[in-house]
Amino acid sequence: MYAWIWRKLPGPFAAKLTISVVLVLGVIALLMFVVFPWLEPRLWFNEVAVN
Amino acid sequence: MPQRRPVPPPRGPVPPHQPPRGPQGQLPPRRPQGPPPRRYAAPPPPPGAAEETVILAPVGKGGTATEEKPAPAPLGKGGVAIRTAGEVLITLGLVVLLFMVYELYVTDLFSAGKQSEASDQLDGEWSHDRTLHPELIDGKAFARIHIPTFGVDYNFTIQEGTDDAALEVGPGHYKGTALPGEPGNFAVAGHRVGKGAPFNDLDNLSSCDQIVIETSADFYIYKVLPYDDEIENWAGGKGADPKCKGVSTLRDANAEEGGAYSATFGRKVVLPSQGTAVNPVPYKDADVLPKAQQAALLTLTTCHPQFSARERLIITSVLTQQVPKNQVKDYGDLLSKIGEA
Repeated sequence: MYAWIWRKLPGPFAAKLTISVVLVLGVIALLMFVVFPWLEPRLWFNEVAVN
Repeated sequence: MPQRRPVPPPRGPVPPHQPPRGPQGQLPPRRPQGPPPRRYAAPPPPPGAAEETVILAPVGKGGTATEEKPAPAPLGKGGVAIRTAGEVLITLGLVVLLFMVYELYVTDLFSAGKQSEASDQLDGEWSHDRTLHPELIDGKAFARIHIPTFGVDYNFTIQEGTDDAALEVGPGHYKGTALPGEPGNFAVAGHRVGKGAPFNDLDNLSSCDQIVIETSADFYIYKVLPYDDEIENWAGGKGADPKCKGVSTLRDANAEEGGAYSATFGRKVVLPSQGTAVNPVPYKDADVLPKAQQAALLTLTTCHPQFSARERLIITSVLTQQVPKNQVKDYGDLLSKIGEA
């Protein structure tokens, strides 16, 4: 999978490296700002109240 | 490093259909059994090839791994599938790790911003008008909690409601429970891990530790009630400490089993389903005591044990003092007056 992505990236090594770093940061940002905030209320371990 | 790939003649034990792999043909076989190894040790290279593979000369038969790894053989369909599956699993593991980082640290950052915003807003409102009864709007701050034991600067705004949005800002007030200073039970829930973790250290509180609730007009000073093992000898034991002035066991010596507050302790660990912990008289029906006879309690709830939601930690304290804000300069001044500074 990663080897395939690496092969698909255009340009010389430096360009590939830059693009991959940007891609990785993008995925992390997507997780932190979109996926995790969405996921979190659906999980149970943040319950602090009695009911 | 020579880029040429020496092509030893396909002879000897090298299967004719297998192209040789790079110049490292001399690697010893890793798997003596099984299908013909791809990197089978070639017989001593022919004189022509020897020149080209000279960089590998130190590695002869029976040698160990070389620094230069042979180029991997192209994988079959199954190999690719297995490799991809492995990559996906590793990726999922990293995502789970990232989620932990998010829960433990990133939510703190998000909540810190919301908390400081709520705090500023609350200060702004308080500087304008000093209504005795705060207007309760879902998710909006109306009071502030200080716990001197956790440091002079420990303070969080208390929001109305205990839903996720309110608790993300800071501790939340259980709707319908008493307000600060009122008889009954002013109940507040807060996160213990992440989201600013306002109630992270609740288990470090001891009996008689002070909890200060600040409203627009007053400071209400609550003290943690005696713990389970202190009840029996309270009056002669810790209860005699000047620090514990105003803290009683709430037990009624004349009543059976201590009366209405027989189940109330400074600290208790209960199941999440035990909603009665925030009743006006904790763990008792609402009608067990008329409101006028109820003690003014403050109950804090959070998850327990840390990092788990299996149980709830319940800290209950009792109102011992009410200090109007116009009698003290500020919170620091109050602390020196109540012996915490």
